[in-house]
Amino acid sequence: MKEAEAEEQQEFSYQQRLKAAVHYTMGCLCNEVALDKEVQFSKQTIAAISEVTFQQCEHFAKDLEMFARHAKRSTISTEDVKLLARRSNSLLKYITEKNEEIAQLNQEQKAKKKKKLENETKNSIEPEDTEVMESEN
Amino acid sequence: MADSPSPDSEPTTRTLLRRVLDTADVRSPRRRRSARNAIQRSVFETTSSRSLGSQTKTSVRRRSHGARSIGRLAHVQASAYLEKDTPRTLLKNILLTAPESSIMMPNPVVKLVPLSQVVQSYRRESSQGSLELQLPELDPPTTLGPGLPTSSRKKQRLRLSVFQQEVNQGLPLSQELPVNADSSSFTRSLNLTFTTPLQPQSVRRPGLARRPPTRRAVDVGALLQDLQDNSVASAPPGDSLRIPVATQPTNIVLEDTQPFSQPLVSSFPSVHHSLPHPPHTGVEDAERTLDRRTWNSGLELQDHMSRTDYATTSSPISELQPPLPEVTEAAGSEEAVRVKELEGSSEDEDTSGEPASPELATSTPELLQAKQSHEFLELPPPPGVGVLPSEPLEPVPARLPSRPRAAGPRPYRDPYRTGLSHYVKLFSFHAKMPMEKKAVEMVERCLDKYFQNLCNDLEVFAAHAGRKTVKPEDLELLLRRQGLVTDEVSMHVLVEQHLPMEYRQLLIPCAFSGNSVFPAH
Repeated sequence: MKEAEAEEQQEFSYQQRLKAAVHYTMGCLCNEVALDKEVQFSKQTIAAISEVTFQQCEHFAKDLEMFARHAKRSTISTEDVKLLARRSNSLLKYITEKNEEIAQLNQEQKAKKKKKLENETKNSIEPEDTEVMESEN
Repeated sequence: MADSPSPDSEPTTRTLLRRVLDTADVRSPRRRRSARNAIQRSVFETTSSRSLGSQTKTSVRRRSHGARSIGRLAHVQASAYLEKDTPRTLLKNILLTAPESSIMMPNPVVKLVPLSQVVQSYRRESSQGSLELQLPELDPPTTLGPGLPTSSRKKQRLRLSVFQQEVNQGLPLSQELPVNADSSSFTRSLNLTFTTPLQPQSVRRPGLARRPPTRRAVDVGALLQDLQDNSVASAPPGDSLRIPVATQPTNIVLEDTQPFSQPLVSSFPSVHHSLPHPPHTGVEDAERTLDRRTWNSGLELQDHMSRTDYATTSSPISELQPPLPEVTEAAGSEEAVRVKELEGSSEDEDTSGEPASPELATSTPELLQAKQSHEFLELPPPPGVGVLPSEPLEPVPARLPSRPRAAGPRPYRDPYRTGLSHYVKLFSFHAKMPMEKKAVEMVERCLDKYFQNLCNDLEVFAAHAGRKTVKPEDLELLLRRQGLVTDEVSMHVLVEQHLPMEYRQLLIPCAFSGNSVFPAH
């Protein structure tokens, strides 16, 4: 019982830390927007937005998990994220563009890795051949 | 033949009616005097032609007494086929079944006592009422007043007790043997029908005898008809289980609508036999005569199954569109639920099959309680669109008995909005306050968007799982997102809570005997 309570407390404190982090990030963003639009944000506004953001993050996480399970996967993929963002068109566009960028990056990285591997295998084969030749000789 | 008591002695309304019924042609103006003469002639002829050799002692008297009754019987038998519920039949019923009785007891007792022995013996011999049992209904002077059925009802007890007296050869009066008296007094009419014994009971207790007998007849008949229709549509044998389940609600609904449902007094035997047929004709008539909008919200399973099957088999969408919006119009929230779920499924398939169909999406119902089962989606298509109108609805039965629907000019209904108007009406009903037209329009637009969203979601979910068909898993996901299905509340729980019994059988797998599970998952 006590352990359960302790765990709960730990979770609670963990949550609070997360909320604090979100709140801090929200404050920074709001300050940026305030400077940009020359509008001021009250503290209650920032608190409200951060609270809403936190709850939305929870929702998103659950939805992503559901989507992944629906597609019979155990990992959340970009497809799930796109499904999540389908409601707002601009967000969807943004996400798909980002997705493509990342995909390109991945491909480039893969290509580089392949080249490296090929080089390494060539190098490894040649010394082997030389060894073999030496052994034969 | 000689001793026939003059039929004109103490002409009462009863006797007059009897004569009229016996002799008058069906649907011909009654000519009393000539009818009477005709009766006498016909009666004598029939008596002479009949072989009454079995009766010995009082055969002559019996013949005379039974002459008229024989004639009546003959006429009745001959014209039994004509007996539908007409005033004629009502009267005939009354005359045949309601016993003649008068407050003046002594005369009939005096007349019939000497014959009681014979009556009894012959009654035992011949189970089928024959001539000898005609005796009680003859000449006892009756003073029936204008209230013929009521007086007969009141006098029944007296009458029966009197008869009992006669039968038991002067035993003390017992007023409490109605059943025996009934069966005995009405055996005379056995050769006509075997249901008339029910009549006195029904006359006494109208509430009891009305629905149950007709119900069974209709069920079987209509069920067979539906089965035939479905089998014609080459339904796979595996689905034969479902179809009867599906048709059951229609049957139950159908019988409520029956304009042929027999009122009490006229529950004639021939009617009972012919009951299976009028329902069929009633259904067909309902098909043709009812306006589409009356049946439009075909809430029955078959309706929806047919529509969804159209979608799956990629039948022309145009065929679906007119019935669909009309179909969504439904009265009754239960039906609305069913409509919602099934139409939602159909809509999803449509959208997944042919994306360019926004109008269908608009008429999709709320999917909050939607339980889509792939069994619905994969059911074979029923015969044709003709089947669609064959399901009258609960609102229809409520209306039909009140007045037959006059085929007036049908108001124009925008199919785009027709489906939503019903839900808007539900909304305004639940609001418990009068609503402005603008508010109604706003609600309509909101519902439109909402349903579009829901169905887009379903389509996307199906695509996300790499499928082209919307399946129950997609619906479960949708409900989960809406918060209706949680870790504690599963979809089966919602199905059991909100859907009618028949849907539960189709949706929730249940193990049956023989190691079989239905529906197979």
